[in-house]
Amino acid sequence: MATTDSDPGSAQRLDKETRETLVSVARHTILLTWSFVILFPLYWLASMSLKPPGQANTLPPDWVFLPTVYNYITLIQSSEFVAAFTNSLFMVSVSVILVLLIGVPAAYVLSRYDIPMERDVLVWILSSRMLPPIAVVLPFFLIFRELNLFDSRIGMILMYVSINLSLVVWVMKAFFDGIPETLEEAARVDGATRFQAFRKIVLPAAKPGIFSVAIISFIFAWIELLFGLVLTSFEAVPVTLFVYSFIGSRSIEWGMLAAASTSMILPVAIFLIVVNKYLAAGLSFGVVIKE
Amino acid sequence: MSTPTQTQTDTTGEEGLDRVRTLWNQYLPYWFMAPMVVVMVAITFFPGAYDLYLSLIEEPTVNVFAAEFAGLSNFEAAFARGGAIHSFIITITVVVSALALETALGFVLAALVAGVGTGRAKSFYRVLFILPMAVAPVSLATIGRIMLNSEVGIIPYLIEAWTPFAAPAFLSEMPLLTVILLDTWNWTPFMFIIFYAGLSSVPDTLIEAARVDGAPLWRRYLHVIIPYMKPVVFVAALIRMIDLFRTFGVVYGLTQGGPGTATQLVSINIYEQMFINNQVGVAAAIAIVYLVMVVALANIIIAKVGFNGVWD
Repeated sequence: MATTDSDPGSAQRLDKETRETLVSVARHTILLTWSFVILFPLYWLASMSLKPPGQANTLPPDWVFLPTVYNYITLIQSSEFVAAFTNSLFMVSVSVILVLLIGVPAAYVLSRYDIPMERDVLVWILSSRMLPPIAVVLPFFLIFRELNLFDSRIGMILMYVSINLSLVVWVMKAFFDGIPETLEEAARVDGATRFQAFRKIVLPAAKPGIFSVAIISFIFAWIELLFGLVLTSFEAVPVTLFVYSFIGSRSIEWGMLAAASTSMILPVAIFLIVVNKYLAAGLSFGVVIKE
Repeated sequence: MSTPTQTQTDTTGEEGLDRVRTLWNQYLPYWFMAPMVVVMVAITFFPGAYDLYLSLIEEPTVNVFAAEFAGLSNFEAAFARGGAIHSFIITITVVVSALALETALGFVLAALVAGVGTGRAKSFYRVLFILPMAVAPVSLATIGRIMLNSEVGIIPYLIEAWTPFAAPAFLSEMPLLTVILLDTWNWTPFMFIIFYAGLSSVPDTLIEAARVDGAPLWRRYLHVIIPYMKPVVFVAALIRMIDLFRTFGVVYGLTQGGPGTATQLVSINIYEQMFINNQVGVAAAIAIVYLVMVVALANIIIAKVGFNGVWD
């Protein structure tokens, strides 16, 4: 009896090791498969943008080819693309600065002061994110036409602010909640005004939060298509609309299209990698704050 | 003679500045809140009210007194004759299936990556898996058009070449499924990164206690980890659901709502009523129903599940 008991015991122990190896192999197989699913489309897009015009879409595909920057050169020479790209860069950047100026102080107040019905206020702020953009843009389209804001950068900046304000307020409130109040109290005792305490003590401590929320806001505005489609026609066209109109053209130049998309994706991908530590906090509206 | 007067004006100037400074600091919370509240009112109450107004009048006009009341005829045109109900069904199908897929896949991937032994491999997967979020919906539509095209696309080609199956025509025969899968590719990273952070915040002692009790892996997940993660899962799913109702770019770039009306989401339907059919009232009628539905749904979920333990 004793031997039969110990035997399956040691067999199980042996099994445990092989089982762990098997689990590890299975784990990496699944993860590598998903890595492939993620990378293949990105690789395909990038490789297409680097193929010479005639070769972009041949089947069977040329897995090996001599890369060329022809498509990128033609793209940079196209004034429409350059205008759309710089437009987006300018409008989105200004909107991020603006949304931080509006949202961060408000988040500080929501974190530090007793606001009546604070929960309802926060849900109201979140509700601006719930409104489908198409339902929001329809009234703004009519109003902007009256106010001469149609096809203006100012109008687009305001719309970009509208999609990110709730995010900034929520995330920054969570960050401010995590900064001990004793720091400011000490500064106040030393004679600093409320504003000085905020600017000199709290803001520097919240820097990582501000940085990550700025980048996430940038991304959400950068990828937005609908506002450009509805509210611009020529002057304030964002890069997303440029890519869209490229898709719509009758004879598609695949290489150029791939190059335009790649140059849109690349800066955002770099941003994402830079802030990846704070991404969870930012994307979850500050609910998941530590990693 | 002139020197005293000079100092006089100087001090009053300073006094004025002092008063401004005192006012600024005394009412700091109000100054801090005011811009946010103004913008919030402008982007929540104003569009809602204006949509409602537009949906109830004949011709869009800024002058409220010149407007002709149309009753519910715009709603009737949208829902009885227009394809609005069809759009709502399509939208809900996409939202529910993409949300389910992304939540499940995101959780499995997060759990798998959390269990990776070495730190370097862990951060490799973690960084790699967020990359699809860098792809704008319109770029994703581009990728879809390039890779799934039944004549020149690589994916139908590879299916034909490497498997015995005939390649389906993704964009014409199964457009809705294609949209759902593309969105899953695009936004599973969102769920993944939040779940991953949530998983690493589960206290080790809790898992260890369950392990000592002899609970196998699946039981540890079912009875310890998932209950602990519930608030995180709920918040991530809520935000993703809200954003899924905003879907526009990927579908509009990929199929423009077609073929026919197969992928005509509510957002696309509203856009077309407004800018192609020039039916502002009908577009506004659908918009107000959509807006109320999404806000009500999100608020019901928030009220039901409650935010206790999530934000305070």
